Amino acid sequence: MQFRSLPFHFNRIGRISFALSIATAFLAATAFLANGHCDTLRINGSTTVNPPAAEAAEILRSEKGMQIEVDTQGGSSGGISMLGDGLVQIGMASKQVSEADRAKYPKVDFREIQVGEDAVALVVSKDVWDAGVRSISQKQMRAVYEGRIKNWKDLGGADKRIAFFNKEPGRGTWEVFAHWLYGDSKKAPPVSFLEVGGNEEARNKVASTRGALAQLSSSWADGKRVFSLSITLEDGSIISPTNKNIATHRYPMSRPLFLLTNGDPKAEAKTFVEFLLSERGQALVRKHGYLSLDQLRE
Amino acid sequence: MADTEHSPAPPSLRKVAFSPRSWTRLASFAFSLLTLAFLCSMVGLFAWQSLPVWKQEGIGYVTGEKWYFRQQEFGALAMIYGTFVVSLVALLLAAPVGVASALFTVEILPAHLRLLVKATVELLAGVPSVVYGLLGILFLRNWIYIGLERFDLLSGDTLLTAGILLGIMILPTVMTLSDDALVGVASAQRLAARALGLTRAETGIFVGLAQSWRGILTALLLAMGRALGETIAVFLVVGRRDNALPENFFSLQALIEAGQTLTSKLGG
Repeated sequence: MQFRSLPFHFNRIGRISFALSIATAFLAATAFLANGHCDTLRINGSTTVNPPAAEAAEILRSEKGMQIEVDTQGGSSGGISMLGDGLVQIGMASKQVSEADRAKYPKVDFREIQVGEDAVALVVSKDVWDAGVRSISQKQMRAVYEGRIKNWKDLGGADKRIAFFNKEPGRGTWEVFAHWLYGDSKKAPPVSFLEVGGNEEARNKVASTRGALAQLSSSWADGKRVFSLSITLEDGSIISPTNKNIATHRYPMSRPLFLLTNGDPKAEAKTFVEFLLSERGQALVRKHGYLSLDQLRE
Repeated sequence: MADTEHSPAPPSLRKVAFSPRSWTRLASFAFSLLTLAFLCSMVGLFAWQSLPVWKQEGIGYVTGEKWYFRQQEFGALAMIYGTFVVSLVALLLAAPVGVASALFTVEILPAHLRLLVKATVELLAGVPSVVYGLLGILFLRNWIYIGLERFDLLSGDTLLTAGILLGIMILPTVMTLSDDALVGVASAQRLAARALGLTRAETGIFVGLAQSWRGILTALLLAMGRALGETIAVFLVVGRRDNALPENFFSLQALIEAGQTLTSKLGG
C-alpha cells in the first residue's frame, strides 16, 4: 500500500511528452508568426509570364535583397483568384481579367499592367511536322476540337490518330485558343480530351508522343522537339507565329502578358513592376522569346 | 524493483473506469479522444457541406457518366471507375511482390540483414509522391508508350501507367507491414514445424503465412488506402481525360486509354 500525497505522479514518460508538446506548440507558434512576415513579395500565376518574372525576381533578390516568391499554381486563373483572395500581391496572367472574374471579387480593383506580348501556337510533334503538316486553318482546328477530324491524314499528314492534349480550361493559353475558335471561351463545346497543365508539361508530352497536337505559348516551341504550325487564314495566306506577325496582329492568337495588382502597386510590388517595365526587364521579356512593349509599337 | 507505475489503484478509485494516476494515461486518453473527435468532425463536416450537391443531383452524382462542368452536368462514375481500376492494378502488382519479399526477409535472411533491407525499403516509402510522379513522366510513360506500341496507344498517359506507378509506390508499405506480421508468428511454431520435417518453404507458407494472414490483410488494406488517396503521382501520368468510361467495365482496352480518377480531378 503506497501513500500518495498527489493524485498524479510525474513519471518520466509523462514529463518528457509534456515537455515535447509544449516545445512543439512553441515552435509552431513561432513558425506561424514568422510566416506572417509582410516583407515577402508573393507572385503567382501564368506559366507563360513566369520565365521573365522569375528571372526578374532573381535579379532583384541578389541586387536589392528583396524577398520574392514566384509560383505558378493554377496558371492565369490561379493568379487572378489568388490576387482576388489577397494571397499574393502580384498576379501573372496571359489573358484579360474577365467580367466574371471582376464580379467574383467586387472589392478588388484589378489593374492589368502589360509587360509584353505573346502568341498561342498550335504545336505538333516531330513526326507530324516531318510528315508535311505545316499549317492549319480555323475550320480544321474547330473540326479537330469537336472530334470530327480524328486522323492526321485528313489534314495532309500520315495515317495516325491525332493525340490532342487540351490545355486545362482556365489557363490563359486555352482561353485565347477558345476565343479564336469560337469568339468567346464560354461558347466552347464540352469536350473530353487528355489534359495538360502548364506550358512545361504540354511541351514535354507533345515531344514524347507521336501524332501529338497541343496549344502552347509560341516562344516555347523550340523547333527541335515541338514545332508550331502556321495558321491558314480565310483568304489562303499562311501566317506563321513570327515576332513580326504577332506584333502587327496578323497572327490571330496573340495575347498580352500582364502583371495584375489590386489597385496601384505599392512598395515592393511597385519596385518589381517598375523593374519589369524598365529596359532591363523588357530585355528579359525578349530573352525568353516574347515581344517587349517597344516591339509592339513598331 | 519498486515499480511505482504498476501498483494497484487505491480502493476509492478502483471502480472508476478512468483514473488519472499519471500524466501518461491522461495524455493517452486525451490524444486518442482528440483523434477520434477530429475524424468524426471531418466526416461530419464533409457530409454537411456536400448536402447541396446531393439535394441537387441526387444519386445521379455517382451513377451519372458525363462530367461537363460548364454545362452543369455532373456524373462521377467515370472517375470512380478510374480510381477503382488504378488501385486494383496497383494492388495486383504490389501484393504478390510485397508479400513474397516479406517472406524472403523473414524466413531466409539473417536477422541483421533483414533489418538492413527493411530500413532501406522503409526509406523508399518516405519518398515524396511528386518525385514518383516526375519519374513517371520521365521514364515510365515512355516505356509503356514504346513497350505497348503494337496496341497503338494514343500516348503514354494511361490508367495502366498510373496503376503501375502506384504499385511501385505502395510496394514498400506492403512489404514492411507484411514483414511485421510475419515476424509476429511465434518462433516456437516455426521450430515445431521444422522439427516435424517441413521444408523451409513449407514452413514459410503453411506456418508463417497461414498464421499471419490477418496482419497481411491489414497491410494490404493500408496500402490500398494509400493507393486510393494518392493524388499528385496519378495526376501527372493518368492523362486526365474526363468521361473515359468504357462500354464494358471489364475491358482491358480501358487500361491503355487515358482516364481520370477522383483524386486527379480534385488535384487539378
